[in-house]
Amino acid sequence: MTKAIRNYFVFLWRCGRIAFVGDWRYYTWMGVLTVICLLGLNAYARQFAHGLIVTGMSNEVSWGMYIANFTFFVGVAAAAVMIVIPVYIYGNEDMHDLVIFGELLAVAAIFMCLAFVTVDLGRPDRFWHLIPGIGQFNFPASMLSWDVLVLNGYLLLNVHICGYLLYCRYQGKKPSKWFYIPFVFIAIVWAVSIHTVTAFLYVGLGGRPFWNSAIVGPRFIASAFTAGPALIILALQVVRRVTSTTTVTEAARLQGDAPTPPSSPATLADLELLARHLPELASVSSQVRKDTLAGAMVLELAAGHVLLRQGEKENEAYFVLQGRVVVKREEGGRFRIIRSGGPGEQFGEISGLAGTPRLATAIAEEPSRVLRLPAGSLRKLMKNPAMNKIIRSRMTERLMITDRALLMLRSIVQVSMLINVFLLVNEVFKEFYSGNLHVASAKYLFVGLHGHHALVPWIWTAIAFNLTAMVLLVLPVSRSLRWLNVTCVLAIVGIWIEKGMGMVIPGFIPTPLGAIVEYTPSLNEALVCFGIWAFGLLCYTVFLRMAVPILQGRLTKANEHHSVEEIAGVTPANSNP
Amino acid sequence: MPPPAPSPNPNPAPPDAGISRRNFLRTSVVLTTGLAALAASLKPLLDMNDFPTMERFLQKYYKEMTPADMEKVLKRITDETEKQYGLRPHVRDLKPMDGVEFVYCLNLTRCIGCRKCVHACVAENNQSRNPEIQYIRVLKLPHGSLDLEKAEHDYNPEKVPEKGFFYMPVQCQQCKNPPCVKVCPVHATWQEMEVDSAGKRKGDGITVIDYDWCIGCRYCEAACPYWARRFNFTKPEIPKERLNPDMAYLGNRPRRQGVMEKCHFCIQRTRAGRYPACLEVCPTGARKFGNILDPNSEVSYILSTKRVFIQLKEEMGTSPRFFYYFDV
Repeated sequence: MTKAIRNYFVFLWRCGRIAFVGDWRYYTWMGVLTVICLLGLNAYARQFAHGLIVTGMSNEVSWGMYIANFTFFVGVAAAAVMIVIPVYIYGNEDMHDLVIFGELLAVAAIFMCLAFVTVDLGRPDRFWHLIPGIGQFNFPASMLSWDVLVLNGYLLLNVHICGYLLYCRYQGKKPSKWFYIPFVFIAIVWAVSIHTVTAFLYVGLGGRPFWNSAIVGPRFIASAFTAGPALIILALQVVRRVTSTTTVTEAARLQGDAPTPPSSPATLADLELLARHLPELASVSSQVRKDTLAGAMVLELAAGHVLLRQGEKENEAYFVLQGRVVVKREEGGRFRIIRSGGPGEQFGEISGLAGTPRLATAIAEEPSRVLRLPAGSLRKLMKNPAMNKIIRSRMTERLMITDRALLMLRSIVQVSMLINVFLLVNEVFKEFYSGNLHVASAKYLFVGLHGHHALVPWIWTAIAFNLTAMVLLVLPVSRSLRWLNVTCVLAIVGIWIEKGMGMVIPGFIPTPLGAIVEYTPSLNEALVCFGIWAFGLLCYTVFLRMAVPILQGRLTKANEHHSVEEIAGVTPANSNP
Repeated sequence: MPPPAPSPNPNPAPPDAGISRRNFLRTSVVLTTGLAALAASLKPLLDMNDFPTMERFLQKYYKEMTPADMEKVLKRITDETEKQYGLRPHVRDLKPMDGVEFVYCLNLTRCIGCRKCVHACVAENNQSRNPEIQYIRVLKLPHGSLDLEKAEHDYNPEKVPEKGFFYMPVQCQQCKNPPCVKVCPVHATWQEMEVDSAGKRKGDGITVIDYDWCIGCRYCEAACPYWARRFNFTKPEIPKERLNPDMAYLGNRPRRQGVMEKCHFCIQRTRAGRYPACLEVCPTGARKFGNILDPNSEVSYILSTKRVFIQLKEEMGTSPRFFYYFDV
């Protein structure tokens, strides 16, 4: 028990440590974000001291940019689990580990949401009045109390799922399905609920006809499921780029010919050694073991030796007996670490079994001994059910952010955007065709009202962006990543305007008594928003900084004695470029 | 359990010492800079002259206070107000009177739009003069229309009334079904009306705010169909000589930055048997106020004899206790 607790704290400590380790690019990025965060904090301190008067809000327009951003990021948080659906419901293996990236994005987005509502409070010192059981919680009457519950619940769910999967990976244990699959399904339903509840915040107000419309909820979901996966498409490409740390010189070395390593025929003792790290092997009968040895070799690798090369065709698979082997994949001229494995891990089995070209390059990280099995021997081993299960389960290449996965997300964005635009058309038709007095807010938003038209250029920009994105998504041109990225940016910006400022502000204009008072965010307010965005990015970067080495198998319990600098590939000698 | 892996560097002491000293220096420089930057960014907090004390921070919810708690709180409010304004106020916690439910009637035929009610309300209820907060908004509407979008809010002629227009003062409508109460996440605003197990209604129906419980989320302000609620976007300012020392806890005691307020039918007056300030100042007698449960009251007479009333935005289902009527 105490050992388990100790292990867990060592895990947390090492995760915390690794967040502070990186190359100069990492430090620059984190430094810039920290500075923006501090500027935001400074602006918030001013607001805390002088009150919300330092914002552009008034009694007429009593919510502004804070709540607009809150609404948008609840959508991002909700949509981040969209990536979960293809994996767990349709069993799409392409996206398996990407789930964790999606859920970490959800966690960062929820942090931002909580920050945005907190800065919007007039009396943040009285937050405890909102805590159920301690304060006075107006549940279920107030939709805001629902929001408190669903947002925090969603945060806990996602922290649990990510934390559990990462800790299992860290320990080298297979996660128990009972501990996370039920939560994954709850999280999917919950994701829809957080955004529906946020829509109901507005929909429930009878005195604000612009919001009091049943279509707001579906529109929120559609726009979230457009903007969220679009954001993930961009984020994944950033992850893919920054985790490819291999320099050009190393790439050149990887291309070169390596000397043949010393080898010897494998013996039963070698299999015995492997069985220590791969307990499933113990259930294989000694007869099969003997058969397996036919053609099997043990190779002694020097550190840096290239074991197999991406694109080459061979019919062999490897198991690590001693040392450590790292698997890298070339994508767009850069090498990216996909995973790294110690004793008991297997490599090259996918192409080995299928006889297809190698998917990645494997290099010995330390002086290592590996067992090389011909495909036929591996097949013999896999007749044993336990071995079959373990080898199959590992066959998914970790962390492959393949273009296929990105295109899978594209189809989600595509459908959602079509629905989003369709719902917008419905809303606009209902408002303008009937032409009753309640159209005033919509008029203000789309064409201006009595000479006031601050939002008109914004909403038409949003509509132009959304329509362009929609057309691009329908056309095959967005299958190319460059166009897909343009499309995603257009969709995100368009939706941010449309459901942020374009949704919140017109609800207040004109006021229920017919006065028109416009709203422009103040500089101080904008600084607070920038601060929170930077804070969100900072959180997401730190989460990735911890998660990527764990998913790659570089940060594990087995290498507890290694310093985090070594694991991050940063040593004092090469940290200064 | 895997066998312990051999350490890659069995004797790391000599090279490590230099690195760790350099690391230590670097860490301390980064830490110091970071802390200094953090402190600098928090500097505006020094402008605060009103840090919440522990006592205020932990103050209980109005409905959960015992009489002894309330006594303490009232004493503290009295002391704080005296310290700030140099005048010892008389702060009370007035409860609803038995058998009383308040109703307001406003005669649109008589109202001339002079806004005397607006200013009497500001003076009576210790509303902030800077920035200016007013509970009553008088709308100038063209004859024949109740389309509020046609209303003029900042009319300022030489003389009222102007020909071709009528005037409609709007303040909290004291709804029987108030949306603001429903949406408040912390019960900081409620209607003083309770229905006991026997189905008996108790309370005068005024919707009040515990200014010391409100968290300032402004959801009630968004929910109100009458734009009746006002938020203290900064610390309210009242000139010392203008302070009204006759105060009630749920009424006109001075508010703090970051909380909501609104018309409460002058609780400090009406629960002590007086008329609201807006009524007393009205030069045309357009405003009538009283107990709807008393069949002999003026409001009962008006509601039982006049043919047409307006309950503003009746279609919202809010059921206001505020009735607009006409002389004919």
